[in-house]
Amino acid sequence: MKAEQVPPMAVEESLDFAQFMRGLRVVSSREFAAYFDSPIAYIYTAVFWVLSCTTFMNSFFLEAVVDMSAYFEVLPFLLIPFVPAITMRTWAEEHAQHTFEMLMTLPLHPLQVVLGKYVAALAFYGIVLLGSLPIAIMLVFLGEPDLGLIAANYLGAFLLGAFFLSFGLLASGLTRDQIVAFVLATLIGFAFVLSGHEKVVEVLDGLAPALQVGTWLYESVSVLPHYQVFGRGVVALADLVYFLLMSGFFVLMNHISLQRTRY
Amino acid sequence: MIQVDNITRRYGTLTAVDRVNFNVDKNEIVGFVGPNGAGKSTMLKMLSTFLLPSEGQIRVAGFDAVDNPLAVRRRIGYLAGDTPLYREMRVDKFLRFVGRARGLGGEALEKGFAWAVEVCGLQGVLLQRVDECSTGFRQRIGLATALIHDPPILLLDEPTHGFDPMQVMAFRDMLVRLKPERAILFSTHIIADVEAISDRVLILHQGRILGDGRVADLAAENGIAGAGLEKVFAHLVQTKSQNEG
Repeated sequence: MKAEQVPPMAVEESLDFAQFMRGLRVVSSREFAAYFDSPIAYIYTAVFWVLSCTTFMNSFFLEAVVDMSAYFEVLPFLLIPFVPAITMRTWAEEHAQHTFEMLMTLPLHPLQVVLGKYVAALAFYGIVLLGSLPIAIMLVFLGEPDLGLIAANYLGAFLLGAFFLSFGLLASGLTRDQIVAFVLATLIGFAFVLSGHEKVVEVLDGLAPALQVGTWLYESVSVLPHYQVFGRGVVALADLVYFLLMSGFFVLMNHISLQRTRY
Repeated sequence: MIQVDNITRRYGTLTAVDRVNFNVDKNEIVGFVGPNGAGKSTMLKMLSTFLLPSEGQIRVAGFDAVDNPLAVRRRIGYLAGDTPLYREMRVDKFLRFVGRARGLGGEALEKGFAWAVEVCGLQGVLLQRVDECSTGFRQRIGLATALIHDPPILLLDEPTHGFDPMQVMAFRDMLVRLKPERAILFSTHIIADVEAISDRVLILHQGRILGDGRVADLAAENGIAGAGLEKVFAHLVQTKSQNEG
């Protein structure tokens, strides 16, 4: 075709907020339903409920205290393997079933797809978390628990899960292998939780006393100190910002990592 | 409708598509032929905006495929080579998901759904899970996802893969029925498909276009008038090898 015959380039089409939200909802609805298509999710959820409730009941009967501290204290350690087990399939399976190409050639912005998957994972995690509500209801019947403390704990637990899900999805997007995604996300989870553990901080500080690496990690990176604030019934802006920034960072990284597949 | 100008795509040091130029117009069915590894799928992936070209420019329906991928995606129906489907979903739910993702809703979605189901003959499997369907039906489900929004441009990568002879004939009839007001580009290595329904062929070999035109014209241009596509293809590949040798 000669140059003079080439028509002018069509005007760029933008995506408005309503369209963005509509596409996000389409993706998240499908993703959420997909969790219930697989028996694996049911098995993981059942195991999670059994482990978390057993830990709580053990402490509840031994200490005879009408609060849910035992449940929320153990939660970060249970989420280390649980969340990666849920997120590992999210992107890796798209590659395995070759649906990644179909998904990325639908008229959706990649951020709609990433956020859609994230929202679906959050909703699924929310249901898992709500599985512990019978404990709270039981405590209300047995005594007079501090409901404000329980509410703050639930908020902290939800934000903690949101954070774990964000790097779990990133790990799944970085590889085509679900096992690799699981191991990678578990290692990241370990790093973020254990760096807030007193013994680990001491060991790391001891290795290089001048650098105080352990203390720096505890104060700047670790998730545990921020999560534990909610456990005291305090909802502080600094901790909310930490969770929102960290989760946002990993979701954004997931979005960026998807762009590399086009090159 | 489709304008490809001097497109090159490299994977590391491998050049999969090398300075390719072609157009596809409205009311035209163009067959993309070449052996495995010729670059057909890579070219279709770039047209669908899944891959970025290393060099050159692609316009689809007037939109630049690199700068405005969403506008391009809204106007194409693309069936990728591996027939990607969410296998755990029920067929009707999967098709409606694709329709919604393509911006359809309410009456438009139901209309597009009913039309795609009818055109692709999926009435009997709508309530089955995708993974319970035969290979031929899966291919038809893939076609339905490419058609549900009634796009003006169809890009089909090996669309008859897995079809039995009757299904191949039905597919050819379907494509001819869809031709008015559409630009259709499909890739295949089955020569008979191309000869049966294409207005024009693009012969791709080692990432380069060796021929672009009607089979009869290509045969005449190469001094083998009256030859079929198979002979034209062999002649062009042989000539290219001799020129390079």
